[in-house]
Amino acid sequence: MTRQFRLPIVLVTAACFGLAVAWFREDLREAGTGEGPDRAGGHTERCLTCHIRPDESPGGAHRAEAVGCEPCHLGNPLAFDRQRAHAGMERDPGALDTVQRTCGRAGCHPREAARVATSLMATGRGLIAVDRWVFGETIAPDGQDTFADLLASRTPSPADDHLRRLCAGCHLRTRGNNRDDDVSGIGSGCGACHSTRKEPLSIRPHPPVEARVPDQQCRGCHGRSGRISLSYQGLAEIRESQAPPEGTLRLPDGRPVVQLKPDVHGEKKMACIDCHLHSDLMGDGVSYPHQEQQVTITCETCHGPVDEAGEMPFASFPDPISRDMLRLRGLARLPLDPARGGRTRILAWNLQPTGLLPPAERLRPEATGMTAPWTLTGKLDGRPHPVRQTPVDANHRLSGHQRLSCQACHSAWAPRCTTCHTRYDATGRQWDFGTGKVEEGRWIEEAQTYEFGEPTLAIRDQRVVPAIPGMIVTGDATAAGGGRFSRRLYAALDPHTTRKESRTCASCHLSSQALGLGAGILNLASDEPVFVPDHPGPDDPATASDGWVGLFPTEAAPGTRLNLRSLDATEQLRVLRVGPCLGCHPKSIDPIYLDFQGSVVKLGSPGTRCPFTPPPWVKNIFQTP
Amino acid sequence: MHEAVSQGHDPMNSAGAERYPFGAVSLGFLAVTALSGVALAPLYRPEAALESVEAIQGGLAWAWMLRGVHAYSAVGFLLATGVHLVDVVWKGGQLRMPAAVWWRSILLLPLALAGMLTGFLLRGDAEASAALQVARGVMGTIPFLGSEIATFLMGPAGAGLGPVAVHHAGTFTLLPWLLAIEHGRRAWPDRRSWVIALLASVAVAGVVPVSLGQVEGTGAGLLGPWYLLGLQGLLLDLPVPAAWLIPAMALAGLGLLAHAQGRTRKALLGGLLLAVLAWAAWTVRLLAAEA
Repeated sequence: MTRQFRLPIVLVTAACFGLAVAWFREDLREAGTGEGPDRAGGHTERCLTCHIRPDESPGGAHRAEAVGCEPCHLGNPLAFDRQRAHAGMERDPGALDTVQRTCGRAGCHPREAARVATSLMATGRGLIAVDRWVFGETIAPDGQDTFADLLASRTPSPADDHLRRLCAGCHLRTRGNNRDDDVSGIGSGCGACHSTRKEPLSIRPHPPVEARVPDQQCRGCHGRSGRISLSYQGLAEIRESQAPPEGTLRLPDGRPVVQLKPDVHGEKKMACIDCHLHSDLMGDGVSYPHQEQQVTITCETCHGPVDEAGEMPFASFPDPISRDMLRLRGLARLPLDPARGGRTRILAWNLQPTGLLPPAERLRPEATGMTAPWTLTGKLDGRPHPVRQTPVDANHRLSGHQRLSCQACHSAWAPRCTTCHTRYDATGRQWDFGTGKVEEGRWIEEAQTYEFGEPTLAIRDQRVVPAIPGMIVTGDATAAGGGRFSRRLYAALDPHTTRKESRTCASCHLSSQALGLGAGILNLASDEPVFVPDHPGPDDPATASDGWVGLFPTEAAPGTRLNLRSLDATEQLRVLRVGPCLGCHPKSIDPIYLDFQGSVVKLGSPGTRCPFTPPPWVKNIFQTP
Repeated sequence: MHEAVSQGHDPMNSAGAERYPFGAVSLGFLAVTALSGVALAPLYRPEAALESVEAIQGGLAWAWMLRGVHAYSAVGFLLATGVHLVDVVWKGGQLRMPAAVWWRSILLLPLALAGMLTGFLLRGDAEASAALQVARGVMGTIPFLGSEIATFLMGPAGAGLGPVAVHHAGTFTLLPWLLAIEHGRRAWPDRRSWVIALLASVAVAGVVPVSLGQVEGTGAGLLGPWYLLGLQGLLLDLPVPAAWLIPAMALAGLGLLAHAQGRTRKALLGGLLLAVLAWAAWTVRLLAAEA
């Protein structure tokens, strides 16, 4: 072959080879093109050419034919082949590390996504600060660090390691595949609440995506620790050893529970989101240090009495998110319509004066037969709930009770776990939510029993609030580089076991648990009040091992916040001095309570009709009120 | 000498083509590029750039192959032009042609790059969008007329890819062709050259289809076109004006070769070699950083 012909032959051969390969590629291209529609919601969305199964769409407002796939899942909606279409895809939309390009993208929910990033569900600031404080790593239960810092830390402290192993799974910054037990199977970030569980046995199902968040989403995280979502249903967790022989109820993750009285709102089939406002859940853009500062809804918002900022004309509420929700649901409010909101002027948009409702929806509670002035509409089912207002009666105007929060009396019960022991096993292995894999070392939490009962009374910002044993804990973090610690801290909690009927007078005025003394016998008939604990503490036999404080302490015991404490000696005394009278005067409408101090003085004076002979300590107290 | 000058003036005659085969082939590649571009133009929509390129790539029968031929023939044009330039300089051809022709001829190199860059920008994917911003930023640092030049070539910011498409199909196709006509003294390549260009482009396009990047916002580590990676790497170390100043100096050095002799010529050649090596080094450094 001459040189003159060599190049053309090589080139022709190469071109033929190229064409042959191209022919093969062309067949592949043609076969890989889907047959479904290639547009959705006014834009090109070629994902739908292949993803045509009905159960691949989340349905509702986010249905595939309206939104497509790419706005949530990223990827390339213009591509014709699978590989290119799926490149850069987000399988878990709503995860906070990509939320600005998914749920939070311009034109969708940027405002909400930005707020969620600063909310406590994402930051966990309070949880971190209190845990570090309990471990003795900081001097106060407040701090700036968030779970993002905690999970990114390469040298976590013992407290941080404890949180990373046991607590971070509920944190919104951990991905769905980096979770355990009851929190698994739900989405990440926004999806943790708004993306419900996948239906079982479906081949390639897409979970529904809903603004109407069902209670089961809340239960995954809030069925732990304070367990408010369990309590709301009347479920109290117990240990296996406490289970009755005939068996017990079990949660989806296997934990045994017993059925107690549910919250009255739960009994009425009200959902968590019926009360909790968007700012309670997603935040309002401010990074709060603790949960009670972010939650803005109060009992008074619905049941009154409200202050001036609590009830205003609709137009006065600076709350664009609630306005949007009303608009999206086709609900109209006039600017001067009365409206109520939470502490930070966030509108309770599903609450409105009954008079503004159509006559058919103006329900009359059976108890009164009268139309309630306000009606709350269920966000999930649209059912109207008549909302009675707090009556101005003897119970609610009782002298000496002005500082009581609604929950202090109306919480029927709360979980009380007092035997918690935490230790670190350096030889064990455990999942680390920071690294997303099993790591050396293991934190073990042990408790002999899980108990429940009427909550203790505590003082937070000069209000009497219910509290439960939050950190009756002994810990041993020596193997993790920390130290041993023992804490006797109660935590304020709204137990979510609200009942119309309040706890009895005796349950506070004659109860060692209410005073924070723990379980035991409170003897008020002797010369001085005496408390004999059922389980004396190791340091002081007069103090119960499950108690928060002793009887008549020199100073109040601290709680899990700087502004939370137990009753002090004076407050204990003021509570106890009513106790001896309750045997004959059990009701609040009794005339002696109109002016209890005056009644006390009469008791000590000649000519009193009361046959009661009080013990000496009562007399002394009465003489020195 | 007369013969040499005559061949230098008319390199595309048979003797010139023998002496400078890559010059003839580069015109062949230019012809294939232009014709395949004409065939692709009806399929391209500047207002929906990525979508239309995706449709070319995956939605139309054999259109991806046409795009491949277009892209690889353009690469062939750039490479053949570069090799031809080295060939000419190596053989001293710049000394045998009128200086004005030489100066205009070396413009073929930046024009080829500009044509390819605008083609890259027309993809409309994440890398192209980033490259558009970089190009606009670099041009903006040219004193006095920088922003005007950027607006002329790429339209005002946010105007879409319409102006770029016009310059790609018009300015950066016609100008190289006109310069090639002046340089080569013929408007159409000889049969051998365009057949070689076509066969080579078909062979590569079939075996290695042209890639396409992702939509904006889906990826990190965006890279510019391979022939400008040196420029992208340069921007990591030097101030932005260096991105036009250094190429402009290299181009000026290339032009001055027609006037330099002896040590000056060697110095110029050394400088150009240094620039090429620096370009390669910055490319390697960038790729290493991305990896």
